[in-house]
Amino acid sequence: MRVLDRKVLRDVRALRGQVLTIALLIGAGVAVLVMSVSSFLSLREAQQTFYAESRFAEVSAEVKRAPRTLLSRIGEIPGVALTEARVSGEARVDWPGGEVPVAGRVLSLPANGEQPALNRLWLLAGRLPEPTRHDEAVIHAAFAEAWQVRPGDEIAVILNGRRERFRISGIAHSPEFVFTSRPGNPLPDDRGFLVLWVNEEGASRAFDMQGAFNEVVLTLAPGASEPEVIAELDLLLQPWGGRGAYGRRDQPSHRFLEDELAEQRTLAVTVPLVFFGIAAFLLNVVLGRMVEAQREQVAALKALGYPSFPIAAHYAKFVAVVCALGSVFGIAAGAWMGAGMLGNYRPFFRFPEMPYLLPARLPLLAAAASFAVALLGVLAALRRILRLPAAEGLRPPRPADFGGVTLGRWGRRVGARAKIPLRGLLGRPLRTLLTVLGIAMAVPMVVLGLFWWDAMDSMVELQFDRIERGDAFVALTDPRPSRAVREMARLPGVLAAEGHRIVPVRLRAAQRSRLLALTGLPEGAELRVPRDADLRPVPIPQQGLALSRRLAERLGVREGDSVQVEVLEGARRVHDLPVAALVEDIIGFSALMEIGALNRLMREDDLVSHVALRVDPQEVQALWQQLAERPRVAVTNVKAVWLRVFDEVIAGLVLTSAVTLTGFGVIIAVGVVYNSARVALQERGWEMASLRVLGFTRQEVARILLAELALAVLIAVPLGLVLAQWIVELILGARDNESFDVPAAISPATFVTAALVVLGAALASAVAVRRRIDRLDLVAALKARD
Amino acid sequence: MKRGILHAMAMTKMADVAHPTGVPPVFVARGLCKSYGTGDATVHALRDLDLDIMQGEFVVLLGPSGSGKSTLLNILGGLDAPTSGRAAWRDHELAGADEAALTAYRRDHVGFVFQFYNLIPSLTARENVELVAEIARDPMQPEEALALVGLSRRLDHFPGQLSGGEQQRVAVARAIVKRPDALLCDEPTGALDVETGKLVLSAIARANREVGATTVVITHNAAIAGMADRVLRMGGGRIVSIEANGNRCAPEELVW
Repeated sequence: MRVLDRKVLRDVRALRGQVLTIALLIGAGVAVLVMSVSSFLSLREAQQTFYAESRFAEVSAEVKRAPRTLLSRIGEIPGVALTEARVSGEARVDWPGGEVPVAGRVLSLPANGEQPALNRLWLLAGRLPEPTRHDEAVIHAAFAEAWQVRPGDEIAVILNGRRERFRISGIAHSPEFVFTSRPGNPLPDDRGFLVLWVNEEGASRAFDMQGAFNEVVLTLAPGASEPEVIAELDLLLQPWGGRGAYGRRDQPSHRFLEDELAEQRTLAVTVPLVFFGIAAFLLNVVLGRMVEAQREQVAALKALGYPSFPIAAHYAKFVAVVCALGSVFGIAAGAWMGAGMLGNYRPFFRFPEMPYLLPARLPLLAAAASFAVALLGVLAALRRILRLPAAEGLRPPRPADFGGVTLGRWGRRVGARAKIPLRGLLGRPLRTLLTVLGIAMAVPMVVLGLFWWDAMDSMVELQFDRIERGDAFVALTDPRPSRAVREMARLPGVLAAEGHRIVPVRLRAAQRSRLLALTGLPEGAELRVPRDADLRPVPIPQQGLALSRRLAERLGVREGDSVQVEVLEGARRVHDLPVAALVEDIIGFSALMEIGALNRLMREDDLVSHVALRVDPQEVQALWQQLAERPRVAVTNVKAVWLRVFDEVIAGLVLTSAVTLTGFGVIIAVGVVYNSARVALQERGWEMASLRVLGFTRQEVARILLAELALAVLIAVPLGLVLAQWIVELILGARDNESFDVPAAISPATFVTAALVVLGAALASAVAVRRRIDRLDLVAALKARD
Repeated sequence: MKRGILHAMAMTKMADVAHPTGVPPVFVARGLCKSYGTGDATVHALRDLDLDIMQGEFVVLLGPSGSGKSTLLNILGGLDAPTSGRAAWRDHELAGADEAALTAYRRDHVGFVFQFYNLIPSLTARENVELVAEIARDPMQPEEALALVGLSRRLDHFPGQLSGGEQQRVAVARAIVKRPDALLCDEPTGALDVETGKLVLSAIARANREVGATTVVITHNAAIAGMADRVLRMGGGRIVSIEANGNRCAPEELVW
């Protein structure tokens, strides 16, 4: 080993505290990068593998009732590869253990007893139903796991008002239900939703679809245009009551999965960027100062005839060692966190297999990125040192010139001891700024960790206390005259009932279109209160639509613009309607209009399709029982259950990220404060030892040295709080998620906690440095500085 | 003759023997030993050294590197502890005193002047002096101390704006502002040229005279011996000779 290389190792050992803290910082950036990229890749791989193996359809369409003979014509649409027609329907499941009525969806399997051509099932256990047995069914794995159902068990389902018993022949995954949630619920409720596949004949009989189908799915030939195929398909289905064909983008499971992938991609880009940014910046401060502290060594090497390059390479090697340490830590932590993250996904996304993938190039890339960033951080310092003439470096540096820092009127009021930290800060404004910014950046990290709790709280508050004020939401099997609402209002335990009309529509504005549910609300609706950005109730416009602000952004329309509304039910008319108001929404997108106006648009009578209820908490169980037995009730969604699921599912996810990011915040705070203090001690140890010789106590000296940092921390923390708000808004702005809007609402408690964490980390660093002050070598102060 | 007696006294163990003049010494060292390291690598910096220094005396310690003069000064200044033997400042035992007692001793009684000045760069001349005045029991005005070293016109200059000699005179002012009982100077002119060195030495001499501080100056520069009351030559951790100087000359008259 060359002598200079030995010096690298000794420097690392001598500066181990600093090396460790900077390495941890780099490690944190590498870890986030490895974690988010690897979990993104794993999820993406699981998705693509499953989609390919199960032949996941690219276009789907629902229709009221179309003859089987139409299928061959669909197959002839240019660009269509494979088609599969089936019968599907809503069902209620008579499941004794459920706290609320279990919702179900029935799908038919081909009559020949084979797997369908598209959306094939991946059997976890058992087999498909025998072609001749109409009382056998395959059920989805989510429900089976939640209730520990096994092949051979029986299940009772109410189909079209008729109760039927099925023996479970198999348990399966399906590409259509990677993410499963009850209709109307944005989060998975495995215990409350059942998908079952039965033989075509059984399904046809139950839903009165002999010789017909009400769903068609298809794949596209290579190079085919999805919009063109959809338009053709809509044209073919329209006479039969087509409800609008849609691509994968509008397929609920796929969209939720894509949203999560997009989220992960955003995380993979933004958060490591923040970390590497801070690391580069800190390395600039810390390694820069360290190299500066070794100016005599550099000068000596130059005086001994070393050319500049090996000296620069020497420091680069030091940086490489720090990065290597950081990368090893970061890759290990990132792989561990990535695998954990994937584990967190399991309850959300049901794949037959979701192995954790860590491609070899990823750690290498992360390590290389950290090294590049670190080198960038020390470049300026290295250049300064290399330009230093050898002779100048060998002389003790002239005392820095503080001539400009007079402190003005202030100066007369404070003692000489207080002037040292004040001039230290003001005399080197750039360095002070960097240190303050470095410490300040720790605050947003902690806030980013804790903030998700606040976000969840405000999401729940906004969506369920302010907007959706009902306790339960009943979907009817088909639109009913509004007296159905009055009937329901008379049920025991119902305090208020409000009828809504929900109609599937396609909204178009210029080139953009979106499939969604248009909700008609009565004037003065109390169980669903649209609100504006300031949370004031927005009256339902008599004319035109009220759209989610986020939906309007995606469609590129503003208040007053016109959108085309294609109703995908009934007579399927197309209308142009003005956007009369924008409303805030947290979950999904909504498009609202006055219920009377909607019914007029449909040229229908006074109909409702959904009923929102306010319920007496004493009588809920009896009420669910009553509702479960009513023939025209398709699904009942209960807010309390929703909130429980939300808590269970989200809390675990949030806790993981909160702990991780808070840990990272501590790493940053300790990294900056400890290193600043250590460097200050390196630079000023001689001065401080002199003060000790002059009779200052350890405590007095520590106070003088640390006062500067304490001041920096006191400036940094409030600044960090401002930065936190800004960074949270930035990261949330970069999200591309249609399922949820996360409000950038940070609670005072989060701000206080973040400030305390950073102050605590600063204090711990100060204590560590204080110990070194106690060990200052006084005799050395009498000699030349080393 | 007198020189011979003093020499003999220094060389002989004479614990608690009254000084010939009848005035008790302020610094007393008896059987002082200091060694570093262990086994074969042991370095004996001081070997069984006895020394008395009188109130107000100006002592110059001469000797080559490694002779033990710095070690002696460090022990007298309460910076270092002897391995064995006794060292005392009046009634303060320095050997075996704890850290807090040594700090208090330095704070209340000792003024230090360093070879490389060791000023705080972010404080002006006045403020550097004020810094020590703030922790002293009965300090003079910083301006007064700076006037004593001839720097009345440079009060508000930062060290970076002062020459080496000026910086060292600020350091002398800082050392004497507390009216120290002892003024300890470690190679105070080591980093300075002759003329500047003389200015600093006259500042030290003036402080010795006007503040009455017992002054010990370490130097390799034998010429400085001319301004001392006594010159102790050190070698191999021992005092090898003591010269009393009956005829102190002013620093300006020194030639080197």
